[in-house]
Amino acid sequence: MSEKLQKEVKEILARYPVKRSALLPLLNLVQEQEGYVSESAMREIAGVLDLTPAQVFETVTFYTMFHLKPIGTYHLQVCRSLMCALVGSDDVVDWIKKVLDIGPGQTTPDKAFTLSVVECLGSCGTGPMMQVNDDYYEQLTEAKVKRILDDLRRDGTSSMKSGPFMHPQPVRP
Amino acid sequence: MATTDETQTDLVTVTIDGKSIKVPKGTLVIEAARQVGVMIPHFCYHPKLDPDANCRMCLVEIEKMPRLQTSCSTPVAEGMVVKSGSSEQVETARKSVLDFILANHPLDCPVCDQGGRCDLQDFSHEYTATVSRFSELKRVFQKEYFSPLIETQMNRCVQCLRCVRYCDQVMDVKALAPVGRGTLTEIKAFGAHELDCEFCGGCVQICPVGAITSRMSMYEFRPWMLKRTDSICGYCGDGCQLTYQTKNNDLIEVSSTYGSGRNNGDLCARGYFGYQVSEHPDRLKTPMIREGESFRTVTWEEALEHVGQSLLAIKQKHGPDAIAGLITGRCTNEDLYVFQKFMRGIIGTNQLDSSVRSGHLAGIKALQRVQGTPRWTVAFEDILEADVLMLVGTNVTETNPITGLKVKEAVKRRGARLITIEALEPAIGTISNISNLASYHFSVRADRIHEAVLGFMKSVMETHGVDQEIRGGAAGFGNDIFSRLSGMPWSKLEQMTGYETSRFAEAAAVFCQGKKVVVLVGQGVLRSPGGYGTTMNLLDLLLLTGKMPRPGCGVAPLAELNNDQGAFEMGAVGEALPGGVPIDHAETRQALTRAWERSIPATPGASFPEILGRMKAGTIKALLMVGENPLGSLPPSSGVEQAMQKLEFLVCQEAFRTETAGIAHVLLPVATAAEKDGTFINTEGHLQTVRKAVEPAGESRPDWEVFSALSVMMDDPMEYLDVRDIGKEIRNLLPGTRVLGPAPMPPKPDSQTVQAYMAGEYQRDVAVRYRLPEGPEPASDELVLVLTQSLFHSGKFSLKANGLIKVESAGRLYVNPQEAGRRGLGEGDRVALHNSQGSVEVTIGFRERIPSGMGVFPEHFDGEICRLFPYTVDPETKSLVWKSTVVRVEPVPVLPGSRK
Amino acid sequence: MPVYEPILLKNMEQPGYTGSLKDYEQAGGYQALRKVLKEYAPEAVIEAVKKSGLRGRGGAGFPTGVKWGFIPKDHPGPKYLCCNADESEPGTFKDRQLMERDPHQMLEGMLITCYAIGAETAYIYIRGEFRLGAKILWRAIDEAKAAGYVGDNVLGSGRTINVYVHQGAGAYICGEETALLESLEGKRGLPRFKPPFPATHGLYQKPTVVNNVETMANIPHIINRGWEWFASIGSPPKSTGTRVFCLSGHVKRPGNYEVPMGIPFRELIYEFGGGMRSEKPLKAFIPGGASAPFLTPEHLDVKMDFEALALAGSMLGSGGVTVMEEGTSMVWAALRLMEFFYHESCGKCTPCREGSSWLVQILQRIWHKRGQSGDIELMEELCRNIAGRTVCAFGEAEVGPVLSTIKHWRHEYESLIQESAVSGRGGRELPVLAL
Repeated sequence: MSEKLQKEVKEILARYPVKRSALLPLLNLVQEQEGYVSESAMREIAGVLDLTPAQVFETVTFYTMFHLKPIGTYHLQVCRSLMCALVGSDDVVDWIKKVLDIGPGQTTPDKAFTLSVVECLGSCGTGPMMQVNDDYYEQLTEAKVKRILDDLRRDGTSSMKSGPFMHPQPVRP
Repeated sequence: MATTDETQTDLVTVTIDGKSIKVPKGTLVIEAARQVGVMIPHFCYHPKLDPDANCRMCLVEIEKMPRLQTSCSTPVAEGMVVKSGSSEQVETARKSVLDFILANHPLDCPVCDQGGRCDLQDFSHEYTATVSRFSELKRVFQKEYFSPLIETQMNRCVQCLRCVRYCDQVMDVKALAPVGRGTLTEIKAFGAHELDCEFCGGCVQICPVGAITSRMSMYEFRPWMLKRTDSICGYCGDGCQLTYQTKNNDLIEVSSTYGSGRNNGDLCARGYFGYQVSEHPDRLKTPMIREGESFRTVTWEEALEHVGQSLLAIKQKHGPDAIAGLITGRCTNEDLYVFQKFMRGIIGTNQLDSSVRSGHLAGIKALQRVQGTPRWTVAFEDILEADVLMLVGTNVTETNPITGLKVKEAVKRRGARLITIEALEPAIGTISNISNLASYHFSVRADRIHEAVLGFMKSVMETHGVDQEIRGGAAGFGNDIFSRLSGMPWSKLEQMTGYETSRFAEAAAVFCQGKKVVVLVGQGVLRSPGGYGTTMNLLDLLLLTGKMPRPGCGVAPLAELNNDQGAFEMGAVGEALPGGVPIDHAETRQALTRAWERSIPATPGASFPEILGRMKAGTIKALLMVGENPLGSLPPSSGVEQAMQKLEFLVCQEAFRTETAGIAHVLLPVATAAEKDGTFINTEGHLQTVRKAVEPAGESRPDWEVFSALSVMMDDPMEYLDVRDIGKEIRNLLPGTRVLGPAPMPPKPDSQTVQAYMAGEYQRDVAVRYRLPEGPEPASDELVLVLTQSLFHSGKFSLKANGLIKVESAGRLYVNPQEAGRRGLGEGDRVALHNSQGSVEVTIGFRERIPSGMGVFPEHFDGEICRLFPYTVDPETKSLVWKSTVVRVEPVPVLPGSRK
Repeated sequence: MPVYEPILLKNMEQPGYTGSLKDYEQAGGYQALRKVLKEYAPEAVIEAVKKSGLRGRGGAGFPTGVKWGFIPKDHPGPKYLCCNADESEPGTFKDRQLMERDPHQMLEGMLITCYAIGAETAYIYIRGEFRLGAKILWRAIDEAKAAGYVGDNVLGSGRTINVYVHQGAGAYICGEETALLESLEGKRGLPRFKPPFPATHGLYQKPTVVNNVETMANIPHIINRGWEWFASIGSPPKSTGTRVFCLSGHVKRPGNYEVPMGIPFRELIYEFGGGMRSEKPLKAFIPGGASAPFLTPEHLDVKMDFEALALAGSMLGSGGVTVMEEGTSMVWAALRLMEFFYHESCGKCTPCREGSSWLVQILQRIWHKRGQSGDIELMEELCRNIAGRTVCAFGEAEVGPVLSTIKHWRHEYESLIQESAVSGRGGRELPVLAL
C-alpha cells in the first residue's frame, strides 16, 4: 500500500466505531484504484478490518457494483428498468452495439468498453440514460451516444456528462 | 409447587393451540410451543443461534397482531394467544413456503444422504405438499468441489443460513460465505478455494436438508439402517458425548445432539471426522510373539501363558520391583483401575505410571495441594456464567476445542471479559483464535508465561492489595507473597514479557472486579518447566483476591487426553492409590487390602523418568506397556531407546504396531474407545459412560480383560464378569465416582487444606515459585521452538484417522510471516535447525498467530525434529519436560534444477 | 399553470445558486440550526416536528417526530442518525436533486435532528452510483465543518456532531432502513426482523433514526417558519407540507415538481408535466414509485396525499409518478418491474426470494407467448403468499405491479395466453432471466 493510500485507509477507519463498517468504503477505494476487487485485495482488506476473507467475499458478492474480474476501461451501464424502457432504453443498447459491436456483458477486444444493462439508476425523468464509470449521461439519443463513445475513446471523458442534477430547469417568467 | 411473588412476575401465561403454559418472560413462542407439545416446523431457527426469521416456515397466528408472525423471533407476552396447527391461515402459509422452497429444490431424495432425516422431506409429508405448480426451469448451480471432508450440493440449499450462522456465532470461525444475492445465493468458502476451516462438522450437522453432507460416508447408508450408540469421544479431556452410527459393525458416521452431553451437541474435527481410527487397516488383530526379527501370530492362550509365565519368572528371580508398567490415559477407568490393581496386587510393585504424568498431573497436584481435591471446583456451566475468564498458556481452540466453545459463548453471548496469557498473536486465521475475543491479551513467548503471570499478580497486589478476609485469617501468607512480588522490578518484568506496567494494571482491574472468575490453565503451562509452580501461583492469586472459596470461581487445568483425570483418580500413577491419595494413606491401604484380599506394596512408586532410569540401570527387567509409545514420543535425549533395549521382557497392549510395539517381545491387540464399555472422567471431573459401538477389530480385547486373564495365568486370579463388575468395585471404594448424570457436581475446596496451606504449607516452595529466572535470553537470531498440539490431531493415535489425515498429514515449522520475511524465508522453504542436540531439516509454514521469535511444530509429526529437544525432569511432578528448545535457523541451499 | 411557493427547491431555482455554503447562508441557511441550539430544548424540536405533521418522504410515510420520540432519552451510549440517500425506487429521482443542488439544506436538517435525538454521529448512506452526489456532500460537510456547523462544539453549543458520507455499492434493498443499517455495518444488506426497531436497536444495536433526504431537507423550514405554517400546507391533518414529485414516462415535461400534497394527479401530469408526449392518451400511471400499484385514467382526480391513495388501492410511496400512454403493454410493464424486483430481492425470506423468481418466469413466458391457462390465477395466489409473509415491505412491493395490472388489464394477460394456445408454443423454454 502506498503512503497516500494508507492515509486514506486510516481516515476511513476513523469514521466508524466498528471496523467492519469501513468494508464498503475500502472496497470502493480498491475498485477505484485497480478497476476490480481482486482476491489479494479481499485478503488485504480482511486483514485491515479483522475479518476473515470469507466475510469480505460474501459482502462483495451481494453488491452489484463490485467486479471480481477486470473489465473494460469504460464501463457503460445502461438502465433497463421500466421508466427508462418507456422512453427507449432498449434502443440505447442497440446504438452502442452498432458503434462498438458488443452486447450486454461483453467487452471490446481492446478492453476499452464493457457494456452492462443495469436496473434503475435514479434518473427516470431524464431517460434513456447510462452511467459510464462515475458519470451519468442522460436524455440519450443515437447521435449523443455516438459522440459520447467517441469522446471517451479520444479524451477519456466527455462534456456530455451530467453535472449537479436539476430537471426541469426553472422556467423564468 | 410454591412460587414466590418474584418468580410469578418473571413468568407469563401463553395459550398455544388451546394449551396454556407459564413460561419465563422472553421465551420465544416456538420454544413455549415445544413445551406444550406443539411442534412448529422451521428451517432457519436453531436454539444455539440468534433468530433470523428468514425461512418463514414457523409463521403462527397471534391474536391482536395484524399479520402472521414468525414464532422463532417473537417473544411471549402475558396473555398471548397463539394458533399454530389450529389455524387454517397458518396451514396455508406453511404450505406455500414449502411450495416456494420445492420450486427450486431438485427432488433428488433417492440419492441424497439426508433422505430419511431431512426436515424438508418431513414437512413435505406433514403438509402433504401436493403436486407443485412450478412449471418453470429450476435453478441449477454449477457443482463445485468444497473440501475433502465436506460435500456441498447447493441445488438442495434452502438458504436458511444455519451453517453460516453456526460457523460465525458458535464457532467464531467465519469460513462460510453466502455468495451472491437472491435466489442465486450459494454457500461457499472464500473465492475459488476449497474450504479451509476447523472442520468441526457443525455445518453438516446443522443443515436441515442435504445441502451440506459428510464425504466420509457418502451414499453408504440410510438413517434407518444405522444403529446408534451414545458414547464419549476418546481424544481430548473435554469428554464430548457423541453418537456412533454403525451399520453391520461398520462405523458409518458420528453425530451429536443439541442438548446432550457436556458439549451440548457441539463437536470438533477430532470428534466428528476422527472416528475411523478403529477401522484402520493397520490395526493389530491377533496376539503375536517375537521370534528373532519378526513376530509369530499366536492364540490368546499361548500369548497370555507366555506373558504370565515370563512375568512370574522375572518376579521370582528379581523381585516384584523388576517389573514396571505404563498405561495411557486413553483407557477407561475400568482398564486403569484393573491395571494398577494388577501391578500392585498381582505383581506387587508401585512402579507404574500413566500419560497423566506428562502434563495434566502438574495441574492436579497443584489443585490437590491447595484445595484438597484433585478435581476442578468449577464446571463448564461456571465458565458460561463467569464474568471474568482467564486463559493461561492455552490455545484452547486447538487442545480442548469444546472448552473453547464454552469460553466463546461466555464472551460472545454472555458478555464475560476475557484475559489471555498465551504465545499467540491475535491474528485471524482459518481456525478461530481465542485471543481475538480477549479484552486483554498478553502475547508472550512460550517460555515467558510464568513471568507474565507474576507480572499480572504483582499488578493485582499492588493496585488492589490482599483481600480483606485473607488479610485477617492468613496475613502472613498474603504479606509474604506481596513482598516477594514487590521485590520484582517492573523494568525486568516489562522487558521479559514485552508489556508495560499500565497494561497489566488495566487487566488486573478487570480481574479484580470479577465476581465469578475461572482460570483455565493449559499445556503451555502444564507441559513446560515450572508449570506446576505457575499453576500454584494462579491458585494463590485466587486465594489472595478472595475469589477462591467462592462458588463459581476456580483454577481449571485442562486435561490433554480423554481420561487423564481418570488415570490419576484410578491410581494409575506410582505415588497415588485409587482416589488419588498418597501411597501411605493408611485408611485407603486398609480399604484396598480388604477389597482386593491382597497386600499393597509399601515401597514408594516410581514415575516414568525414574522407571526409565531403573531400566537403564538394569534393575527393571520387564515392562508392561499399555497404549503408550515412549519410543515414538520421547526425544532421544531421554535415552529411551537404550533403556528399552536393555529390557528382558517388553509386553505391549496396543491397537497399532507403534515404534515401541515394534521392539516388543509380545504384542497383545486391544480395543479402542469405540469398541468397549466403561467410563471416562473428563477434565471437569465428570464421570461419563462409554459404550461399545462396534465389535473390537480382529481378536482385540479391552485392556482390563488382558490384565484379568494374566492374573489367572499367574495363578492369582482377579476375575470380573464384565466391566460393570469392575465399576461396582470402584464405586464401592471411591465415593467420587458414584455420580453419573448430565453434569458434574464440583467439589468445594477443603477448608482445612486451604487453611493449612496458607498457614505455612505454602512456604515449602514459595521461593522457587516467586522468582524471576536468571538464565540467558535466546540470542536474537535464535528461535524458541515449541512442539504443540494441533486441532486436527491427538497424540500419535489420530494419525490413523483417515478423516483427520485428509486435513493435516504432515508437520511444518510454523513461523510468523513477518519473522520469516526478516530471515528471508518463504512459505515452503526448507530450513535446517541446529542446536547442541543436533540438526534437522524442516519445511517452513506461515501462521500469523505465532509470535515473533517463536517457531511451532505440531507434535504429532515430531519424529525427526524431537532429536533437537533436551529434557528436564520437573522436581515436583517428576515428569519429563521437553516440549521446548532453542534453535538456530539456516536456509537449506536449493540445488540447481531442483524445485522448492 | 397554478403557481405554488417552492420550499425545498426554492434556493436552487434562484439564478446562479450553486449550493455552496456561501450561497446557502446568503439565502438564510443555518439560521434554523442557530435558533434551535439557542432557543430549543431537544424535546421541543421533536414536539415541533410532531406537530408539523411531517411524514417520512422515503416511501412508508411514518410520522417523523413520532419516530424521533421513540429514541430512548436516557440511553447512556451513543445514538445515531442515518440519512437514507439510497434513492433507488424506480421512478424516483428527487433526492439526487436535493443533494446535488442544495446539500446544506439537508445537512442543516440532519444537524437539527442530531441535536433533537442526541446523536453525535450521523451517516449519509448514499447509493454507490451517485458518485457526483457523494462528492458534493463531502464538500458540503467540509465547508460546514470549517464554519463550525459540524464537528466538536457546534456553534459553541458544546455539542459534537460529526457527519460522514457512506457510499453503497449497488443494492436496492439497502433503502430499507434495517438493510441500510446492516450495509452500513459492512455486511450484506439483509433487512432485520422487527421488533426490535432501529429506535432502540439500530446501527451497532444503538438507538438510531433513519430518515430520508427530503424529510431532512424539510426540517430547517419547519423550525424557521414554525410548525403551524408547515401544518397548514398541503392536505392537513395527515398529509402536510409539499412533496417533490418525480414525473417520468410518456409525458412532455418529465422532472421534479414541488407541489403541496393533495393536488390531483391530473394537475401534476397535465399542468406541470405538459400532458402526454404524443397523441396517444394516458393508459396507466404509477403514483408512487415502482412499489405502488398501477392506477388508471379513472384515478386522475385522486388527490396526491397519503390517505386518498390508500383509498384508491395504491400508495404515495416515494413520490415517483410514471405515466404510460395507450399502446404500452401492461404485461410488459409488469414484467419489467418484476425483473427489477427479482434482481433486487436480497434472498433472505423464502416467499420473496423464490416467489420473485417464479413470478418473473411466468411473466416472461406469458410475454413471450408461452403462457398457459391458469397462469393468471397462479400468479394471484403466489402474490397472496408473498405479501405480508416477509421480514420487510419488499414482499408487498413486488406483488403490487403484478396484482394491479391483472386487476385493471386482465384481458391483456388473457389475450397473450390465448395467442400462445393458438400458436401451440406453450410450455418450457430456457429461462430468460439472468442476474
